Amino acid sequence: MSERPTPSPDAMIFLDGVSKRYPGQEKAAVSELSMEIKRGEFVVLVGPSGCGKTTTLRMINRLVEPTQGRIFIDGKDVTHADVDRLRRGIGYVIQQIGLLPHLTIADNIALVPKMLGVKKSERRQRAEELLEMVGLDPATYAGRYPRQLSGGQQQRVGVARALAADPPVMLMDEPFGAVDPIARKKLQMEFLRLQGRIHKTIVMVTHDIDEALRLGDRIAIFDPGSRLAQFDTPLAILSNPADDFVRDFVGSGAPVRRLSLLKVSDVIASSASDAPGTLNAIPVDAGETVHRALELVLTARAEGIEVCVPGGGSRYLDLQALLTAAAQPTKVLS
Amino acid sequence: MSTVAIEEASVPGTRRSTIWVLPLVVLVLLGGVWAYVSSLTLDSIETRTLAPEVVLTALWQHVQLVITSTLLTIAIGVPLGVLLTRPGTRRAGAIVLAAANASQAVPSIGVLVVLAMVFGVGFWMAVVALVLYALLPVLRNTMVGIRQVDPALIDAGRGMGLSPREVLYTVELPLAVPVMLAGIRVALILNVGVATLAAFTNAGGLGSVISSGISLNRMPVLIVGSALTIALALTVDWLAGLAERVLHPRGI
Ligand SMILES: Nc1ncnc2c1ncn2[C@@H]1O[C@H](COP(=O)(O)OP(=O)(O)O)[C@@H](O)[C@H]1O
Ligand SMILES: [Mg+2]
Repeated sequence: MSERPTPSPDAMIFLDGVSKRYPGQEKAAVSELSMEIKRGEFVVLVGPSGCGKTTTLRMINRLVEPTQGRIFIDGKDVTHADVDRLRRGIGYVIQQIGLLPHLTIADNIALVPKMLGVKKSERRQRAEELLEMVGLDPATYAGRYPRQLSGGQQQRVGVARALAADPPVMLMDEPFGAVDPIARKKLQMEFLRLQGRIHKTIVMVTHDIDEALRLGDRIAIFDPGSRLAQFDTPLAILSNPADDFVRDFVGSGAPVRRLSLLKVSDVIASSASDAPGTLNAIPVDAGETVHRALELVLTARAEGIEVCVPGGGSRYLDLQALLTAAAQPTKVLS
Repeated sequence: MSTVAIEEASVPGTRRSTIWVLPLVVLVLLGGVWAYVSSLTLDSIETRTLAPEVVLTALWQHVQLVITSTLLTIAIGVPLGVLLTRPGTRRAGAIVLAAANASQAVPSIGVLVVLAMVFGVGFWMAVVALVLYALLPVLRNTMVGIRQVDPALIDAGRGMGLSPREVLYTVELPLAVPVMLAGIRVALILNVGVATLAAFTNAGGLGSVISSGISLNRMPVLIVGSALTIALALTVDWLAGLAERVLHPRGI
């Protein structure tokens, strides 16, 4: 009977026309937003300050109650579900970290398992396992208090705590925003590696487009009017910005940034020859990024690349052809 | 309306190195008074009013007044303070704080007399007056202690799926403990002093020793009563300081 859309089977989070208008505010912070986030996908919400990213994120675990629309998690409509139960199944990481200063690191991590009635010895074991997972030595850190840790270490604990009950979904609001730029990049990379192992469905908020491009499987770009301007893979966004706002937001470096997202395998298809000729080529794996390939060529002072293709044989591409192929607008997408 | 909490005292005399200073002062004070009194030849009135069982009974009554009224103050002030920090009670909180502030401005003797006139005299009457008087610091510090908790911690707690009650017990109250303890300590000290006035409502205590010293015009009696009150106040403050140190949550 109803014409309302339902989530597809592989959707983990599904927002159906969700809006939020805060009391006493004329303009809705989020209006009529629909999004589908797939199981195991890492989605980054990005946009200028005040565009409703945090509000969107907090509607998913209902720290903010939507004024309109429906929210599905794992196929179930949770718009009116029990909030505490809902939230225990969703990891939540915030910029301020929010570790409880009067509890040890282990007790902070084990807080939700404790509420869920997990036995003390098991909680302890779980906390140690998670500390290990986020790269902190349990013997050193389990018994410490939060203020005895650096900002970066505290945020690792924040991530460990969010993972404690092994929730399928993680929400992260500018999780790396409070750490210094060098530590931030390290944390981002470590987190990507962790995600490669645990395959959570992650929704992360940031205002940093570089962070979004580096981490997201897909990126949702909001414009200042809180409209979802584009929701696509980083490569697609760099190659085909949906409008002027997105083009501006991504910035002038888009062609160069694409180089770290394009794979060598994406470009050899279009333009490569089967014969080396007189080319001084350097071997490169087809799975490498174009950025890495260029780096190898420049380092070796070579003139092009040689790529082994499955099924035997090699293909050759000189530097000029490599750059031309990398500058092609799209067609190579997924 | 003043919502400024009593500063978390630096708990003087309870640092590990100086922990024995205050008890020493108390012992010297008591020893000095004892030496002074023993050096005198007491007349029959002094002998009677300074008889050990009389003085010790007064001291014990005083301690009972202080303990009972402080426990009641905590039992009322803490839950009330918690209640008044729950969402939707902002107005009520402001009103109650204003009333508590005003009650503190009324001279304690006035409260005692009015209560005695209305409800009669005795131990429990004195306790009621003491509770009314000492409620403000406990109530105010409970409210301030809870309100100063970083909202990000409460947000993190709610975000993890803790219920409002679980957030209260695992986040807000533990973090408010230092400020709450400072308020309770002030209430205790207030009660030791104000309880001397309980003598006027026939509730006994060290105030009765002091007032017989005055009415009988006997200096030694007056001195013993006052010195014991001071010694008790110092001892109570010292114990409260120790308790604050022990109960202060680790990690903050
Ligand atoms: N609790 C709140 N009450 C009222 N307005 C709010 C609240 N939280 C956010 N807003 C408003 O909603 C809009 C979107 O905020 P937010 O979701 O925090 O944006 P972002 O995270 O993208 O910076 C802003 O205009 C902000 O002022
Ligand atoms: Mg935000």
